[in-house]
Amino acid sequence: MSDLDPRTKIVSILCLSTLAVFLNEPWPLLLLFVFTLLILLFLRINFFRITMRFKKLLPLLLLMLIIQSIFTAGGEVLISFHDINILTSNGINSALCILFRLLTLFSSAMIIMTSSSKDYVLALTQLKIPYEIAFMVLVALRFLPIFIEEIKDTLVAIQLRGVDLQRIPWRHKIKFYTRFLAPLLSRVMLKAHQLAITMEARAFRVYRRRTYLRLLQYSVADYVVMVFFAIATIVVLARDFLY
Amino acid sequence: MFSANGFILRVLSVKRGWLMAYIELENVTFCYPGQSRPVLRDINLSIYKEGVTAITGANGSGKTTFSKLLIGILTPTKGWIKLNGQLLTSLTLAQIGRRIGYVFQNPGKQLFCETVEEEIAFGVRNLGLGLSTDQVAQKVRMVLDYFELTRYAQVYPLSLSAGEKRRLAIAAVFVLEPDLLLLDEPTTGLDPYRKKLLGDYLDKVIAAKRGVVIISHDQKFISRYATRLIKLQEGQFVEE
Ligand SMILES: Nc1ncnc2c1ncn2[C@@H]1O[C@H](COP(=O)(O)OP(=O)(O)OP(=O)(O)O)[C@@H](O)[C@H]1O
Ligand SMILES: [Mg+2]
Repeated sequence: MSDLDPRTKIVSILCLSTLAVFLNEPWPLLLLFVFTLLILLFLRINFFRITMRFKKLLPLLLLMLIIQSIFTAGGEVLISFHDINILTSNGINSALCILFRLLTLFSSAMIIMTSSSKDYVLALTQLKIPYEIAFMVLVALRFLPIFIEEIKDTLVAIQLRGVDLQRIPWRHKIKFYTRFLAPLLSRVMLKAHQLAITMEARAFRVYRRRTYLRLLQYSVADYVVMVFFAIATIVVLARDFLY
Repeated sequence: MFSANGFILRVLSVKRGWLMAYIELENVTFCYPGQSRPVLRDINLSIYKEGVTAITGANGSGKTTFSKLLIGILTPTKGWIKLNGQLLTSLTLAQIGRRIGYVFQNPGKQLFCETVEEEIAFGVRNLGLGLSTDQVAQKVRMVLDYFELTRYAQVYPLSLSAGEKRRLAIAAVFVLEPDLLLLDEPTTGLDPYRKKLLGDYLDKVIAAKRGVVIISHDQKFISRYATRLIKLQEGQFVEE
């Protein structure tokens, strides 16, 4: 009972992010965030890793508090400087909304990581999406970190040969990056090409029908979660559109 | 456990009081984020700007990780590393690169220019060695010649063969004449003749009172050129 079906996870992420976008009061958003955390807890995600990521968001929140206060009219003025309202209750409200919204979006995205990519290919194919496409989506997703890794390596190599990237001005930096983009891209293309060859060498797409080692099956928990999410989302959306 | 080489080196370093450690590691522990078992544990080691220090160890024992710590790509989880008396964390990669020349285990990763010639010239121009255009060109020509890359001067680096790529990566670092060379498995993919060429070059480097650290599984090469041998075992160094 410690895991949900990948399809359920996809649906929950869709619902959670829809809710996060449509709700616009701090309390319901906080509730949504807590709920997302509970799901993560249920899926046994490392809580520490999550909090580490959120720490970086704190300065952003403070900035938001002030910006929202300055530009949102109304509410009680708590701190002001000359004619400018630095902190207002409305500002705090909308900043909190944004915070909880971001937190919910981030942590719901983390639900994805609790299943292996193989499971998602299976899930997509069982949702009647052609295997080739499901697989390609996955490879594309997997390529992103590889691409980032390549960029990092190149930057390290450039710095080790005497370029102080931190110290050169922005204008030059951009010129610099564009100069190394071509070799970088060609390296990534080379990797993609190699991947295509190894896939064909391992008989990708040789047979029309693939057989799968495993079939995904919904459990009771999956049904409960899905129904709950469907109802919650519909209620919120209906409330938004009707009133 | 004294071996002749290690013993002689230690006697030498005691006798010549001025021979300061070029790189100094104290209680260095390193653990990749998200892993529970550290790759390197409590390492205390001095590396001198003299002779060839060879590092061996089984696959996955942490040799490459160690070299990345020395060059500042990774920072120790615990402990500190000093380069020439300065904390490594206080230096930028560019400053470290001026003193240590690093050749990656996979040299393709450190080639980023449009031509072979450009690749070699890149560092020379950046390091501010105060050379004129002519001098740079001459230096590049010399290195191209030594590593027998002259006929590839205008070729795209990534289309070279594996051995040629490695030679180019080594050449691009050698041309900068760093105090210390740090080579991660430099002989992999080199033919016997090129290995000898590399070895001869190392001899020259040492004669010029600069140091070399090589990570290698190549027993023959090590026994021929190394003056100090250390083995990485279960996260710790054993001097041989
Ligand atoms: N980026 C990384 N993230 C997590 N773990 C890593 C990473 N790089 C290496 N490791 C792990 O650290 C250990 C040491 O790796 P390292 O590359 O330093 O070994 P090595 O001694 O250079 O091996 P080889 O002889 O094969 O080159 C390995 O168990 C490896 O799985
Ligand atoms: Mg290695």
